[in-house]
Amino acid sequence: MTLADFVNLLINGTVEGLLMALPALALTLVMAIARFPNAATGDYMTVSAYAAVGVQWLIPGSLLLAAVGAIAAGVAVSLLFYLWVFRALRGRPLVASLVASIGVAFFARSILTFSVGQDQLALQVPMMRAWNFSGIRVLPLDLVVAAVSIVAMALLFTLLRLTPVGRQMRAVADNPDLARASGIRANRVLLVLWAVVGALCALGGFLFGAKSVVSPELGWEQLIPAFAAMILGGIGSPAGAVAGAVLLGIAQELSVPLVGPSYKIAVAFAVLLLVLLVRPRGLFGVAIAAR
Amino acid sequence: MEAYLVAVAVIALIYMLLAIGLNLQYGYTGLVNFGHVAFYAIGAYASALLSLKGWPLAPAFAVAMLLAGLAAYPIGLLSLRLSDDYLAVVTLGFSETVRLVIQQEEWLTRGVQGLPGIPRLFQFLGVGQYADIATLGVLIACNVVAIGLVTHLVRSPYGRLIQAVRDDETAVQALGKDPARVKVQVFMLGAGLAGLAGAFYAHVITYISPDQFLPLVTFYVWIAIIIGGPGRTSGAVIGSLILLVFLEGSRFARDFVPGVSEVQMASVRLALVGLALILFTIYRPQGIMGRQNL
Repeated sequence: MTLADFVNLLINGTVEGLLMALPALALTLVMAIARFPNAATGDYMTVSAYAAVGVQWLIPGSLLLAAVGAIAAGVAVSLLFYLWVFRALRGRPLVASLVASIGVAFFARSILTFSVGQDQLALQVPMMRAWNFSGIRVLPLDLVVAAVSIVAMALLFTLLRLTPVGRQMRAVADNPDLARASGIRANRVLLVLWAVVGALCALGGFLFGAKSVVSPELGWEQLIPAFAAMILGGIGSPAGAVAGAVLLGIAQELSVPLVGPSYKIAVAFAVLLLVLLVRPRGLFGVAIAAR
Repeated sequence: MEAYLVAVAVIALIYMLLAIGLNLQYGYTGLVNFGHVAFYAIGAYASALLSLKGWPLAPAFAVAMLLAGLAAYPIGLLSLRLSDDYLAVVTLGFSETVRLVIQQEEWLTRGVQGLPGIPRLFQFLGVGQYADIATLGVLIACNVVAIGLVTHLVRSPYGRLIQAVRDDETAVQALGKDPARVKVQVFMLGAGLAGLAGAFYAHVITYISPDQFLPLVTFYVWIAIIIGGPGRTSGAVIGSLILLVFLEGSRFARDFVPGVSEVQMASVRLALVGLALILFTIYRPQGIMGRQNL
């Protein structure tokens, strides 16, 4: 492997990691505030990616409109399932929401495949040739993907750090009882949370679809890597989720010359196991008892 | 018709073995195993590969159970340090990894092409009914033994201990009992039962491939337990029967609902599985057979 190959893998891994950071952020926010691992995260991505394809089919040509459509669909699906399922399960053991989230994942995906079929679809993306810097190849599309993720994350961090509702979200994450005692309305916080989660998943699904193809398993296949990224970064830490996702993306890419491209999920699983054995609280996580 | 009923009953009993194992893990002990299909797959491939190498079926089945149980050992050990949510993620990841390995390691498993020509059970009885009925008999016996074992286990002092682990682990520790060992043992026992179910499956279907071991299978078993009632042996039995009526029924439903393709029917099946998981966790977490409110 030459240096250029290595750099190419690093670049690919970083872009994939930045993309994976979006669902990982969605997972970690739900974990911190609603307190369960949301297995439907990946399928929110899938639904949004199909929505983007649908918008492009209606109004050909515009990627921006497709992205807006994806976000609208992601937010709608996420809020719908919150209002229908997860709100009803508040206060019940974590396992209840976890099992229900699997149900939500299957339900959302099957409604989708029932209506549009199982075929792979593609988003219309302008074709651009890779720039070649003496062997180091950079795809313009990858730069766009990375830029969009970074902007989305910047917006999220602004929301969390600089707005009243963001402060309330962090307060609920930190100590729900204290938050309630100080007059923070959990209902509003949760509505905002699920809307943000929907938007993050949607953007992830849209970018993923733009980079490869849109298929019914698109999101589900991202679930284990996103979980691994979240745990690597430390549960409940948004910055950790991003760092974890980028590290995992690079690890997955660097493993390709060694074990082949098919074992990416297994690499994510191995990283997950390693983190749980060596440092269960992750890179940036606070030590939570009984984890 | 009789042959069909026997075939359906055989599959129901295989699911029942899976459900009894998962019910021991989740229902009685509270271990959230989202990777049950991994142990099922390990059992199926172990027994299939050994029998294709010319092993007699009895030792092949034993090795299948043993391997599945042993594969659960490291996961069980890890589960001691993890709370429910982590265990769910780890087991789900494990089952996907196992499927990936089966798919990729063609030298051993022939990858996506699958393993054809796995010897049937009771082949010496010929291809006809007798072999099927003998298979049914053995499966019933295995289920009865498994149910007896689990019932005996949960009524014993050990059983009270594992249920106490589910309800309040700290209290168990405070009483000077070791919840860790209990969890690992239960995990291995449940996985062993899944391995046995897998071995039966391989020799009944006679062809196995990685796409028969999707996470969906795990959640079929979860459905059976959640509908039947977690922590009740009768729940696992009734739940797997309901599951099979549903799976088989959805095959016939197509004859009555025109204009729905087979692919769409698969979507409908998945939608109903999802819906059942959602509705039962919201409205009836104790399942059909459960009495107490959880």
